[in-house]
Amino acid sequence: MVSAAIAAVDPAARRARRRRADPLVERRFPLHLEPAILTIRELYHRAKKSKWDPERHIPWAQFDRNAYSAEQLRAAALSWSRRAWTEYSGLPETPAILIRFCLERAGESDPKLFLSVRGTEETWHTECCWRFAELLGGYTQRPAKPAYEALFNQDFHREAFDPGLSLDAYVGAYVAILDGLDLELYRGYLRHATDPVASAILKRLTQDKERHVAFGWVYLTERAARWSEAERADIVAEIDQVMRALELGGYHCAWLVRDGAADDVVAADRITRAAGLGALKPEEERAIFAQFFEDARAHLGRLGLPVADVSGLIRLPR
Amino acid sequence: MGAVEMRSLLDERESRFPLDLGVHIPKIRELYRQATARQWEPLTAIPWDDLHPEKHTPEQLKAARLYWSRRAWGEYGAISESPALQIRFCQQRHEPDLRFFFAIRTQEEARHAEVCYLMAEKLGGYIHEPMKTEFQGSVSTHGVRRMALDLNMPLEATIASLVCAAEEVAFDVFAHLIRITTDPVAKRVLQLIMRDEVRHCAFGWAYMEKRIPELTAQQLKEVEDAVVTMIEKVEMNGYHSAWLGPDTPATRNETAADRLTYEAGLGATVEELEKPVFVKSIKRIRRRMQQDWGLKLKMFTHPKIEGAF
Repeated sequence: MVSAAIAAVDPAARRARRRRADPLVERRFPLHLEPAILTIRELYHRAKKSKWDPERHIPWAQFDRNAYSAEQLRAAALSWSRRAWTEYSGLPETPAILIRFCLERAGESDPKLFLSVRGTEETWHTECCWRFAELLGGYTQRPAKPAYEALFNQDFHREAFDPGLSLDAYVGAYVAILDGLDLELYRGYLRHATDPVASAILKRLTQDKERHVAFGWVYLTERAARWSEAERADIVAEIDQVMRALELGGYHCAWLVRDGAADDVVAADRITRAAGLGALKPEEERAIFAQFFEDARAHLGRLGLPVADVSGLIRLPR
Repeated sequence: MGAVEMRSLLDERESRFPLDLGVHIPKIRELYRQATARQWEPLTAIPWDDLHPEKHTPEQLKAARLYWSRRAWGEYGAISESPALQIRFCQQRHEPDLRFFFAIRTQEEARHAEVCYLMAEKLGGYIHEPMKTEFQGSVSTHGVRRMALDLNMPLEATIASLVCAAEEVAFDVFAHLIRITTDPVAKRVLQLIMRDEVRHCAFGWAYMEKRIPELTAQQLKEVEDAVVTMIEKVEMNGYHSAWLGPDTPATRNETAADRLTYEAGLGATVEELEKPVFVKSIKRIRRRMQQDWGLKLKMFTHPKIEGAF
């Protein structure tokens, strides 16, 4: 007989179990709106206090295109277009996860309130990246190669709605891991940006993302004591899946995309980085990714989530 | 003829590209900009210290707690259901202006739920649920999540019924509430919510202005049907106003609470004052839909309202 924990990890068994899951039905009352997870309520209040406006708080008029060569502008326009494609993921994902929290029985209100602000912030992020790409010479509406394009069509909103995937597994994989790596990369972009507009955008985005990631870890910490062995195994399996299929597939680090399908973005990022317009070289991203994974894995371990070590797969292409 | 099987948006795979983020409906992009510029914070934007529960009787406070809790439940519906529209805008690659605006709209709905919850708390305590289970159907849902995810339901029908009908009625009632509410704190809460609702309504009309010329006669009929359903089955079933709901002990309890709250100047209204507002609102919506969309809404009747309106 297969144990519950192993069944949760085995991909085929997981898929079968997910298909058998009962549909989610909202039971709205009693409707709890009082603070329950105080740290998350505080993140919500901080987010409201930190409100900003892309129109007024980014010094768009300070951008001096004469300070850069045509090649640098072209490269940076692509780097920032790629960033818009990634930031955009939140626009369908956050409403889905917000609804999912509402569908969960007796769910606390704090995550719902927090996610409502996260959705706004992700919109501002997308707008800023798009607008800066336009300013640099023109936003590009799609990746050059279909293989890279497919990487962005991840159906995050469907995952969030999937009753067979626990909310905690979703938060562990998509908020703590996916968003966690994203934050560390943004910190790196910011460290190397010298252009005033690029720096202002990256600073705002990084500040917001710090709260987004903190939300994930606080939520997991809050929930950890209630997990059964099978639930832990499910979370670990989802994190492993996201690491292998998405992050090691190049979702955030274009140099990891298979068969060089995003080589144009990798080359653009190098030029953008050298121009101080807000990007990193592959070797810098690799170091950040490896450090992030080591830290995240240790953190997950302390929560009783033994994630497999895949750091050996974070390799630069030959 | 057999029932049409629901095609869910959740069965469709994502196809993100080409990802156009440009301005296509300038009026809606401008609403998004205004919403970004005019954010407010429930904790600090309301002069909470000016609220004096000690001036009211225990009955009035109990009633007002229920009234503001009920408002919070209603606002929460928009957090739980309306984000499904955002998913639809994204998955079907509707104009990016819609996607941008709706994200911030969801935050505004959360803000409204929070401020109503705070008001109930400060009046003595938020109430977690309606007193009677049978009343929960009308207070808990306007069915928007299902409509938004149902690919057989044209998006225009959802926007027209949710925004240009339901939210317009709510808007007119808000304006009325602000006129009759005497407590400065309750009035301020209502004013700030209404400031956001102005944009929510404008969004619906701006979107329909763009889409109406492109609709077929059949699609326009579906828009009309959805608006009629929203008015008859949701609004006239007591979604916003308890006195319009079926006559049950729970409804009577709610309307009695509303009267006590109104008498205390704490924010509610009563049947005799709201009735002409509601009728006028429906007439205004009918007039505008006819003028702007060429749509002839049927006349409605309700046992508590004299004559067809």
